[in-house]
Amino acid sequence: MSVRRILVTAKLTGLELARRRIALGLLTALPLAFYGGSVGRGGNAVITGGVAMAFSIAGASIFVALTARPVDPRLILAGYHPTELLLGRLLLLELFGVLVAAVFSVVMVFGSDPAHPWATAAGVGLVALTSVPFGLAVGGLSPHELEGVLVLIGVVGVQLTLYSTQLMAKFLPFWGGQRLLDHSVNPNIAVGAAVPANILYAAALFAIATYIMRRQAPRVGGAERHRPEAAASIHAV
Amino acid sequence: MPVSAETVPAADRVLARRLGAPPKSAAGGPPALEAHGICKSYGDRTVLENRSLRVAAGEAVAIIGENGAGKSTLMRICAGLIAPDAGSVSVAGRVGYCPQEPGLFDLLSADEHLEMFAPALGLSREQAIREGHGLLAEFAFPLAQRTQCRHLSGGSRQKLNLALALLGGARILLLDEPYQGFDHGAYVSFWEHVARWRGEGIGVVVVTHLLADQALVDRVVELEIACHAAGDEQ
Repeated sequence: MSVRRILVTAKLTGLELARRRIALGLLTALPLAFYGGSVGRGGNAVITGGVAMAFSIAGASIFVALTARPVDPRLILAGYHPTELLLGRLLLLELFGVLVAAVFSVVMVFGSDPAHPWATAAGVGLVALTSVPFGLAVGGLSPHELEGVLVLIGVVGVQLTLYSTQLMAKFLPFWGGQRLLDHSVNPNIAVGAAVPANILYAAALFAIATYIMRRQAPRVGGAERHRPEAAASIHAV
Repeated sequence: MPVSAETVPAADRVLARRLGAPPKSAAGGPPALEAHGICKSYGDRTVLENRSLRVAAGEAVAIIGENGAGKSTLMRICAGLIAPDAGSVSVAGRVGYCPQEPGLFDLLSADEHLEMFAPALGLSREQAIREGHGLLAEFAFPLAQRTQCRHLSGGSRQKLNLALALLGGARILLLDEPYQGFDHGAYVSFWEHVARWRGEGIGVVVVTHLLADQALVDRVVELEIACHAAGDEQ
């Protein structure tokens, strides 16, 4: 594992993402519009805006995963380890997520005056944390951007229609953040296991993204190049 | 199936003479790549059935065949990008692989691609850019423009694709129709480079459909559609 490879991947992912300014602007405007549209309906606006923020961060992650797919095999063949590429992207996208979460926190704390502003910030932070591995996993599985975005709309859409107290909501990846956002506007709702559950979801999604990446990577290449296999082998002489 | 220059039309032989006919064949030299008994199927469709390929260091081999004969699949297996269902591949040293479709980041420039590949190849950013610029300049790539790949012509994208395969010094080059979109000058330059690589002891495999190319290599290997073909090379 090379820190330099991870950092170079992060840097160039950042450059590429920065050049998708219009798409990123639209992706960020969408959840802000969700929030703006429901701001007159009390605390719901914070939950809607915070959870819908996943559209922007997970959407960016899907774009990154899909754009890299045709190049990744060559990078791995050249010497990258699949995990280095994934960690580099994760690093950059989580930084992007922190930035977006900070903007949403400020807008929603000042716009809705929640009872526990810290829980608003923590809630959007958890949504951001989960959105990146969720987007990388969906991007790894989707054949094209359209399918990936449809899955994103489906999952986030269902999460938005459920109350955080409903059992089904707990089976969706953004429940932890949703619960904290709920708590921030309605202190009677206990935080419970929201934080560990959210971290667990994020870790599980990253493990899935890693598994998909390794499955799609060249069977032999980079660090694995000298590993012989029994029936079908490619090895150095 | 070896194809001699005599089977190539006269106009192509003129080009071959201009580029220089291949010197003494290196087929008997130490192997740069050996593939044995390669089988590959996609679902019910058998693409490769018991194929073998040996390329010596300093040898240039052309792979020809109909569409669907498995040329690109064989190259991808030899490069290590996909695993065969059966068979083995041995390579001596690093493989440089140039795919048919340029696998590039549309929103990154050529320099940024070189920077991305640098740490994988153990090069510093400056080394990769210097070496990459040298390669790109030899193929008349528009270096001064520093444009993102999405704004490059098909030929320029392919030149970058080829340069990335060559970066870092490979001992075996697997080039899958590497000059699609090249103008005549770049095409001629490409074959001059093949002659140079061969002289440096690099094994070169080129997938091609052009008859002229077949006069410029040491050997031609023809792949046939798997359902009515046995092994192709002994």
